[in-house]
Amino acid sequence: MTSARSVLIVGESLAGTTAARELRALGHSGRVTIIGAETHGAYSRPSLSKTVLKDPATDDTIRQDLDGLDVRVVRSAATAAHTDRRTVTTDDGREFGYDALIIATGAAARRLAAPGQRGELVLRTLDDARRLRTRLETARSALVVGAGFLGMEVATACAARGVPVTVLDVDRPLERILGSHLSVAITERAAAHGIRFLQTAGFATLAGDPVHGVTLPDGTELTADLVVTCAGETPCTDWLPRTGLADRLGVGIDSACTTSVPNVFAAGDVTYLRADGTHPERRAPFWSNAVAQGRLAAASALGLSPTGPVQDDYFWTEIAGLTLKVVGPLPLVGEPTTVDGRVTDGRALLTWRHSGGHSTVVAYGLRKPVAALRALAGSVPAR
Amino acid sequence: MKISVDYARCEGHGLCADQAPDVFSLDDDAELTYHFEDLEVPDEHTPAARAAVNVCPVAALRVQP
Repeated sequence: MTSARSVLIVGESLAGTTAARELRALGHSGRVTIIGAETHGAYSRPSLSKTVLKDPATDDTIRQDLDGLDVRVVRSAATAAHTDRRTVTTDDGREFGYDALIIATGAAARRLAAPGQRGELVLRTLDDARRLRTRLETARSALVVGAGFLGMEVATACAARGVPVTVLDVDRPLERILGSHLSVAITERAAAHGIRFLQTAGFATLAGDPVHGVTLPDGTELTADLVVTCAGETPCTDWLPRTGLADRLGVGIDSACTTSVPNVFAAGDVTYLRADGTHPERRAPFWSNAVAQGRLAAASALGLSPTGPVQDDYFWTEIAGLTLKVVGPLPLVGEPTTVDGRVTDGRALLTWRHSGGHSTVVAYGLRKPVAALRALAGSVPAR
Repeated sequence: MKISVDYARCEGHGLCADQAPDVFSLDDDAELTYHFEDLEVPDEHTPAARAAVNVCPVAALRVQP
C-alpha cells in the first residue's frame, strides 16, 4: 500500500530518528532518507548538560543508532525546500525528491552576542559540551545568563567542579515555568550548593570581545573566566524561507503533525502547535513531545490515521543534586493544590489542579516513573 | 539482539516501558526491570526494544554490537 512512497526526513534529531523507526514499524517498505547536518550523527542531548560535562569517557556512549532500519543518511545541511516540485536541496549541492517530507530540524541555542562579538558559549550540541568541559577545567569563576532549566543545570555542573558561579536573570530561577512556590525552594537549595543568583532589572548584554563578562542594565560590568548563555532556543527554520511553512515560533503543526503545506509534516523542537478552539498557539520543545510527534508525523506521512496525543508534556531536570519530574500543563501559578511530603526536606509530591480537569504533578526529589506521574495527572501516554 | 542496561545511569523515567512494555517495566519507585537480562530479545519484540533504546533520555540502554 505504501511501498511506492519515498519519505524524506530533514533533521537527524530524536524526532527524526523516531519518525524513521516508526515508518518501518508501520510497515513502510519504500525509501527513507534522513538529511542531517550534525557531523556526529544522532545523539542524546539531555546527557550533554549532565554526563558529558562531567566525564569525557561518556562522549561515545550517547549515540543513537539507526541500525537495521534500511535508512539512507545524508550528512549535509538542508539549504532549501521546494514544496512545489517536492524536493529539498543540500549544502553540498544535491537535490532530493520526496512523496512526503518530515521536518525535524530541531532548534538551536539562542545567542546574545552582538554581530562579530566572539567567544560566546552555549550548550546545545556535543561540540558545545566538549568546549565547555575543557573551559571548566581551568575556570576560576563563571557567569550563567538565564535561570531556566539549562542555566541551572550548567550552574550545577560549575558548582560540582568547584567553580564559583553566578546565575543572572530578570526572573527568579525557573519562576516563569514552575511558579514562585517551587522557585523559592530551588533558589535556596541552589544557594546551599554554592550557586549564587542575581536578579537583574532588565536583560544583561555580553561584554568584551572575546566575551569576558556581562553588562547589567545599570551599566555595571561583571567579569568571569567563563560566561555561558542559556537563554532558550530558536527553531531551525532558516532553510524554509518563502515556503509558508515557518514563522517566528517555528513550523506550525496541527494534532496530526500536518503543516500548512500538502505532503509536508513536522515534529519536535522545530514545531509549535497551532491554536485551535481549545488552546492558544504553543511551543513545547520537550523530549517526550519529540517522541510523540515523530511517531505521529510518520503515520500521517503514510496517510494513516494517527493515534495518540500530539503533546505528551513530561520533562525533568537535575539541579543542585535534586531531581524534578513534571507531568502536565505549564506554567504553574500560585500555590499547589496538594502537597505530599515536604519541599524543605527535599522530598515531596505536589499537584496543581487546573480548571477543565487537568492536573500538573511534580515529583520533587522523588524517584517516580513517568507512567505513575501521568496516572496522577490524569493524562494519557503517547502510546 | 542483546541490550545492555547501565543501571547506574538509569534515572527511572520509564519512557522505555512506554515503547516496549514487554521488554522493560518499572515499579512505583521507578526501579527498572529488564525482562531479557543476558538473553536475546525475542524477534517479535526487537523493533519495540530498539525504539526503547532510542528514546532513553539518559542513554542508559545500548544495543550490544
